[in-house]
Amino acid sequence: MARALLRITTRCCSPLYAPSSLPSRLRSHGLPPTLRFPSLSFSASAASTSSHGPSSGKEEEEDDQGKYENYLGMTDDELMAQCDMGTFKSSGPGGQHRNKRESAVRLRHHPTGIVAQAVEDRSQHKNRSSALSRLRTLIALKVRRPINLDNYTPPVELLQILPLKSTIRSKDVGSQIGPNNIKFSPGMQALLDLLFAVEGSVSEAAKILGLSTGALSRLILSDDSLRAAANELRASKGLKPLR
Amino acid sequence: MLSLSARPILLPKPRLRRLLLPRPLSAATASALTPPTPRTPTTAAPADPTPLFLRPPTHPVPPAALEAFRRRAAALVPPSAPHLHRHLRWFLADASTPDHLLRAPLDELEALWLAHVRDRRPFQYVVGNEHWGGLVVAVRDGVLIPRPETEAVLDMVRAVQGFEGGWWADLGTGSGAIAVAVARMLGPHGRVFATDVSEVAVQVARLNVQRYGLQDKVEIRHGSWFEPLEEVKGKLMGVISNPPYIPTGDLPGLQPEVGWHEPKLALDGGKDGLDHLLHICEGLSSALKPGGFFVFETNGNKQSEFLVDFISTKWSSSFRNVEAVLDFADIKRFVRGYRR
Ligand SMILES: C[S@@+](CC[C@H](N)C(=O)[O-])C[C@H]1O[C@@H](n2cnc3c(N)ncnc32)[C@H](O)[C@@H]1O
Repeated sequence: MARALLRITTRCCSPLYAPSSLPSRLRSHGLPPTLRFPSLSFSASAASTSSHGPSSGKEEEEDDQGKYENYLGMTDDELMAQCDMGTFKSSGPGGQHRNKRESAVRLRHHPTGIVAQAVEDRSQHKNRSSALSRLRTLIALKVRRPINLDNYTPPVELLQILPLKSTIRSKDVGSQIGPNNIKFSPGMQALLDLLFAVEGSVSEAAKILGLSTGALSRLILSDDSLRAAANELRASKGLKPLR
Repeated sequence: MLSLSARPILLPKPRLRRLLLPRPLSAATASALTPPTPRTPTTAAPADPTPLFLRPPTHPVPPAALEAFRRRAAALVPPSAPHLHRHLRWFLADASTPDHLLRAPLDELEALWLAHVRDRRPFQYVVGNEHWGGLVVAVRDGVLIPRPETEAVLDMVRAVQGFEGGWWADLGTGSGAIAVAVARMLGPHGRVFATDVSEVAVQVARLNVQRYGLQDKVEIRHGSWFEPLEEVKGKLMGVISNPPYIPTGDLPGLQPEVGWHEPKLALDGGKDGLDHLLHICEGLSSALKPGGFFVFETNGNKQSEFLVDFISTKWSSSFRNVEAVLDFADIKRFVRGYRR
């Protein structure tokens, strides 16, 4: 429902790669010299030591640690600290001078350049959290992290969005997480990472995930934005769209 | 300078008449047709001070009548102010229930809508609330409507180490928005003491405290700045204030929703706008416990720069890490720091 109210602007090409060291460079130098609200300090370790970090092969781990930021593993405050919030386009003096209920919040995520916007709620607060969750979805759809297929174990957030019949999914993963759950985004990102690594081949990816090709296609088709991103990725590899 | 004679007197356009004609003219709508005189200061000040959104839905309305009202009200929205269509949706959402009951008679809703569109009475006074900081804050004429900029104060409080267990003061609490939002973040030992000289503010703040069930955590005290806080002096973990900071000379030029309708007591900061801010600064070091935190909202860049400089030079031995903090429009809106 909130989704229907969201207008999305994306200012970057797709898929977007997170080149090594770029995020952290932007993070430390991209911030203006004056203090900016919200000024919560961002800790890099919070992102890279998260237990749901990007799954890279063991040998790769040293190389990859800290290279590809796990944005979706960050808390809202941490993610927010990497964003610029533009609300009042033409602002004037603001504060006590002004009575205007803003209808939109626009977040620009510095490291990736992704822009997410939420409109329409009465509460600026709610617009901000809708924009943040939209940002999470966009990050999942746009930011690709490389995978070493020789040594690949699907991360738990990916296992969580798989249907129960997946043969690599153990019982303790719990019930299947659907597109309306906020935890769907990290799984979707990991799935697209895998699909990217296998050059868009759904059957390859399905094999790795212990599913039939049909079951994986159905999962991809169950969410419009996931389907669109998967098809865009397939198109870039010269493959036909899933339908 | 905010006298009534300064208000432009707007006569209803033919379209407005159409809205009014088919209905019997209530006292409020009648005065809407009459130029305001000093004896009727606010055209649509409600007889019932209970915020509209909190009144019981006791007025049945046929769906067709409500729909007709919606169309008449929408027709009043000038093309130059499309955001009023959004307000109309929110107005109907706050004033009615899905089973066709209204919180005020239709006539009164007509008058309220007219007052918003024509007299520029703030939408928040019309419905009686503002959505702020994740809360629905009750407001009414006589208290400042909390501003979105001020929400940032909550994040700054949350960033203070150990804030959950501390005693906090909110000076000039107005609707109590800050006090309530801060109290909701506190742990079992945390408390908020909020002061205001305005009787209306004290009433509204108490209503909000009660609505959020925070009577045990928030105390609203009537009086000037630190005066009602004698016995907690030196024990406060933090002092928060959004005092009046607009330079007196800027008051006549304010947006009508603000200048015509919000209390001057909540806006007027004296000649440079700094009267209250400086007064509060003077009281800070004796109110805060060592290591205590403070944050003020200011009129923006110049005031913030001045205060940072003033506090760090005049009282360098009392405070540390004094800095200006930007709001989301990149204006240096806040000054914060710690007592040594
Ligand atoms: C700009 S409003 C802020 C209200 C509220 N804290 C907010 O942020 O929405 C300033 C408040 O200071 C109050 N005030 C003005 N003079 C005061 C004084 N001498 N002592 C205490 N409060 C005062 C006004 O009544 C008003 O509620």
